[in-house]
Amino acid sequence: MTAPTFGARARAWSRRAEVRGVFLIWVVLTALLCLFSFVPARLMGAPASPTKQAVETTMTLFTLAASPVAAFVWAIAIYSLVRWRHRGKQAPTEDGPAIRTNTPASALWVVVSSVLCLFLLVWGFVEVQAVATSASASDAMVVDVTGQQWVWTFSYPQEGNLESDQLYLPVNRPVIFHVTSKDVIHSFWVVQMGIKVDANPGETTQTSVTPDRLGRFDIRCAELCGLLHADMETSVHVVSPTDFRSWLRSNGGPG
Amino acid sequence: MRRLNVGTAVAGGLIGGSIAWFLAHQFLATDNPSGSNQVTILTMVGWAIGFMIGIGAFHGPWCWLMGRDQSHEDEKFLAGDGQGIGRYFRFTTDHKVVGIQYLVVTMVLLGVGGILAMMIRTDLIRPDSGFLSPQVYNSVVGLHGLTMIIATIIMVTGPFGNFIVPIMIGARDMAFPRLNALSLWLIVAFVPVLFSAAVLGGIPTGWSGYAPLSDQAPPGMDAYLTAIVIFAISSAIAGANITTTILTMRARGMTWNRTPIFVWGTLASVGLAIPAFPMFMGSMVLLGVDRTVGGQFYVASGGGSPWLYANLFWLMGHPEVYVIVIPAVAALMELTPVFARKPLFNYTAAVLSIVGIVGLSIMVWAHHMYASGWAPDLNGPFMLTTELISIPTGIIFLVVLGTIWRGRIWTTLPMMSTYAMLWNFIIGGVTGIYLSDVPADYDLHGSMFVTAHFHYTLMGAGLTGAIGALTYWFPKMTGRMLDRRAGFASFWLVQIGFNVTFLSMFAAGLAGQPRRVEHYDSLFGVANLVSSLGAYVIGLGMLILLYAVVSSWRRGPLAPANPWGSKTLEWTVPNPIPLENFEVLPVVIADPYGYGEGDLRVPVPRAPAPAEAVAGAATGADGATTPTGAVMTRTDAPPIPEQERP
Amino acid sequence: MSSVTIGEPAVHLEDPDKVGRRWRTGILLLILADGAFVAALLFSYFYLRGLNTEKAWVAHGQATASIVVGWLLAGGVVLSAALYHWALRGIRAGSEPRLVLGTLLAVAVLLATAIGQVMQLTTFPFGVADSAYSSALYTLAGANLFHLLLTAFLGAAMWNRGRLHIYSVTSNWQVRLVGLWWTWVAGAAVLGAFTTSFIASPNVGG
Repeated sequence: MTAPTFGARARAWSRRAEVRGVFLIWVVLTALLCLFSFVPARLMGAPASPTKQAVETTMTLFTLAASPVAAFVWAIAIYSLVRWRHRGKQAPTEDGPAIRTNTPASALWVVVSSVLCLFLLVWGFVEVQAVATSASASDAMVVDVTGQQWVWTFSYPQEGNLESDQLYLPVNRPVIFHVTSKDVIHSFWVVQMGIKVDANPGETTQTSVTPDRLGRFDIRCAELCGLLHADMETSVHVVSPTDFRSWLRSNGGPG
Repeated sequence: MRRLNVGTAVAGGLIGGSIAWFLAHQFLATDNPSGSNQVTILTMVGWAIGFMIGIGAFHGPWCWLMGRDQSHEDEKFLAGDGQGIGRYFRFTTDHKVVGIQYLVVTMVLLGVGGILAMMIRTDLIRPDSGFLSPQVYNSVVGLHGLTMIIATIIMVTGPFGNFIVPIMIGARDMAFPRLNALSLWLIVAFVPVLFSAAVLGGIPTGWSGYAPLSDQAPPGMDAYLTAIVIFAISSAIAGANITTTILTMRARGMTWNRTPIFVWGTLASVGLAIPAFPMFMGSMVLLGVDRTVGGQFYVASGGGSPWLYANLFWLMGHPEVYVIVIPAVAALMELTPVFARKPLFNYTAAVLSIVGIVGLSIMVWAHHMYASGWAPDLNGPFMLTTELISIPTGIIFLVVLGTIWRGRIWTTLPMMSTYAMLWNFIIGGVTGIYLSDVPADYDLHGSMFVTAHFHYTLMGAGLTGAIGALTYWFPKMTGRMLDRRAGFASFWLVQIGFNVTFLSMFAAGLAGQPRRVEHYDSLFGVANLVSSLGAYVIGLGMLILLYAVVSSWRRGPLAPANPWGSKTLEWTVPNPIPLENFEVLPVVIADPYGYGEGDLRVPVPRAPAPAEAVAGAATGADGATTPTGAVMTRTDAPPIPEQERP
Repeated sequence: MSSVTIGEPAVHLEDPDKVGRRWRTGILLLILADGAFVAALLFSYFYLRGLNTEKAWVAHGQATASIVVGWLLAGGVVLSAALYHWALRGIRAGSEPRLVLGTLLAVAVLLATAIGQVMQLTTFPFGVADSAYSSALYTLAGANLFHLLLTAFLGAAMWNRGRLHIYSVTSNWQVRLVGLWWTWVAGAAVLGAFTTSFIASPNVGG
């Protein structure tokens, strides 16, 4: 008994001008926003580690997921404005319909936003586990990173504590950074690898990554650390294992 | 007492500061950093105490101690009765005077903060412009941040919470009029302390004042910490006052489900502020101990920890963003039904969303510290609480959209702010979701992406909401209509400039530009150039808004009592509003959103004489509009009949 | 702008009891604000103690403050609060002399405690810069002293106003509200003494 009534109501509902109008704007906006969803990852540049790749995937995915939501909000706003606009200096003589609430619409809204939130959470927790794998690798290389106003120093405890002001890393080998500071808080950010952790005085913090692309990338300080904060940057060189050995040798390391 | 005003206050402050400075130099060693920090703080405390004595803030407590309670005449004088323009420069207790004073202070702070923003964007217009030295640049960034944070904290609950809320709930004044004046004048005393940082070596830490950078900073940092202590005292007093007013002084019949949503938003904001800012004050007291007598709170080698500061700071800092945003968005929720001519959609959900945001906001602080290394194991739980906030925030959109849907969209300036919020707050919210994701935040934390994100929330939703509130209540607060043309021009310039500025800042952040850098890689050149040009457009728009406000305030056409045909109580009082707002206190019989419900909600017969009085008052000075607000009120005093609601 | 109203005094006189109930809400909120401040200080103490950065929470070989003295000072505040509440019960039963005597005794005990607090501050067996522990003790003692002086002001006002026959068995809401504040100050002092009873950091591992 109820099913046909419901179907008939749904059909009548879907024939209403405002429903069709909003639907149309919503589809167009969603399509545009979905196309736009690939822009943030492009702006972030080519990733140099699986971690950065995961972050870029997240950005794209979250933008895709947000597209229909944002499009829906804007579609209603735009349609209402175009269809029901009142111009002039005086208030409209007639009020709108006295709609106090709409329980199905409200319930649907809460359910959809809860489902989206749940998706974000599940995705986030899975991703956290995924990017942490470098830290537990048995062949990981350890690099001690020390920030001080306004330079970075890198030291390789497994290579006779060899020190350098530029970071050299062999490609495809997990690396664990132990990060600390001599004075104020700095933040160790390897931009193209998508990792960051604060350098705190008196504490050692940890982050890890597996660089997977050869090249020269940027390390920047991401926590305001005083006068020359803007100059506190250096480079990371990701090289082949052979080149890494020879760099170690040429800098007095054990090779 | 009767001769005191802002002039004697400044004199008192200068004398107090000078005495403190002189005594400090006599008795303290000033040849080391700790000594000069002691002198700076003592001088500023001397200024603040002298200022408050000079304005007459201690007169009341002293009389109370001596058992001389104030006479009726004294209270009338304090309320500014018959004092003309002079009452705006005194320790005046009338909530409407305090509201206007707050509005002016807010505009001054926003103006200074805006000029500082223009300096930042000018420096960043080229990768290596050299417009500001690194030292000046860091200082400008810190002062801009702090000024704007304080300005946005007070921009809605200060002017509108004080001026509008008491009338909106049908009260004659705030619960504690003298505390109200006290909180305002503390803010006035605070302003010069804050800006003195500029000439005391600056604030090198940004507005967040992270330790231990703050421990090694010049005496400008002392100005920062003293200013925050004064501000925290002021906001605790204002918070207790506004909360008590809303809890205990709503008109008869204004049950919680008939209380306007803006009152809920104000209550949530000031209620959150009460515990939040004293914590900030605590962190500043510890910083003061570190800086003046060699305390070790934030010094790792002495057993202290910078993480202590970060925790205390963000325990205040995250509730604080909702202190800013909730009342602004609530103001938009309040005015949207007026201009859509429809009831507020799902009032219950609107209230619950505010309550939900308040509840969650005290459990999310450490999402600012994902990358600090403080407690990596807690990042997951904090991601959970942070992302849960998206649900009540989404309900706000549901409420606004449901209200707009099938309404009569009257596109006035206030309504345009609602539309701007729908655009900006979606972008601010979605980018907030990226940042709540732990791995994405590891990458984006501390970059320009974060800067753009919080400008989209605090400015795109917060300041836009405050401007909406200003344009909405301007006729009631000043008795004059705001210049529509200038207002429109300003709206479009500000909103377009805003989106240009901060959308391109997102791009710079995604590409890897850190925050708070004085120069940057040429890679980010285009994004920064566009961003700076957009900022100038905002600046121009804001100047036009300032012009519109000032010129309309002075010479604008007189406003009718209820130009928008709104149903809340503040539109039932005449312009200009008499000293105690209501001749006879109103009795509320329905919520103020009964648009389109015709005569359904006026079943209660009105007592003849007072009803006449109100009708006369409401058609008021120039008799233009009859307030539909009368629908929800009647003005006789006897108890509410049982059949009050159909 | 004119401020003429018809038929009512320009400043409306309200029922004192109504004002009293309103002030009760206000005082409770101000206690909440002050409570957040005290909580921040106590949190700092426990946080730094638990973290024990560079094993320097208490500096190596440093003397620590006497726990007994801390509890004695807290006891002084509690005693003054008890005396105050004795005075409050007096006025609620209509005895004005008991109000005057009780508040006078309460303020005297409070000031004696404040003097004790100053003596403790000046005779700590360590300097404020010695360690995070010593900084925290000085700060907590300072905050407590501030509390005591503020409360002494309120107590003095109660004594003076009681002397001037301002309160009676029916009109005494101010006395009750000061009692609320006094109870909170005593509670804060006890919390402080409790906190500073924990000295050595539990975090001593490598």
